[in-house]
Amino acid sequence: RPLSQAAGEGGGAQGSGGGGGSGSGSREAVERLVREHPVVVFMKGSPAQPLCGFSNAVVQILRLHGVEDYRAHDVLQDPDLRQGIKNYSNWPTIPQVYLNGEFVGGCDILLQMHQNGDLVEELKKLGIRSALLDAEKDQEKK
Amino acid sequence: RSLSSGSEGESRLTRVLQERFPRASSIKVVDISGGCGAMYEIHIESEEFREKRTVQQHQMVNQALSEEIKHMHGLRIFTSTPKP
Repeated sequence: RPLSQAAGEGGGAQGSGGGGGSGSGSREAVERLVREHPVVVFMKGSPAQPLCGFSNAVVQILRLHGVEDYRAHDVLQDPDLRQGIKNYSNWPTIPQVYLNGEFVGGCDILLQMHQNGDLVEELKKLGIRSALLDAEKDQEKK
Repeated sequence: RSLSSGSEGESRLTRVLQERFPRASSIKVVDISGGCGAMYEIHIESEEFREKRTVQQHQMVNQALSEEIKHMHGLRIFTSTPKP
């Protein structure tokens, strides 16, 4: 699927207040989620079925690098998480990509990292070998 | 208050960015929602971004437009620094 420009996520869920207490959007809950796995993505929809062009772009980029094993959280399923993740990162939009528990950015930043080679490096630091390195090797053999 | 037409929204956002980034050498705001004010693309080049990671640069733009972003469906941000 092309990296389309379909709607991203703007100003967040107006409802569910802040991330206090023990709800799924609390700092503690979000902290646990971002540390669950080296690669964690908060998106709209799922990797199998993204529901937004920007979330889809993140899934596709990770796929290009051979990263299929990661944690993806569908914020559309959980309004508290949807607001909580924005409070946690102090970032107003979805998708949000976390590498090793650290917020890296959204779709635009991941795309930039993919284009300038930074993503291959960051994945390497996590012990993940990007599939693109093998693709290059195949090219050289030819 | 709502960003009704594309170019009104673009001008307004540009003004806000000019105020918040006085050292910007280039600011370009494009309504990419067909004039609905729902989604924007922001290109901004400024000395104020130098030595900052991209995510920090984008965060600066987010903060500058935090009020306006509440009314948007989405936005794309492209930051850069002027050639030295």
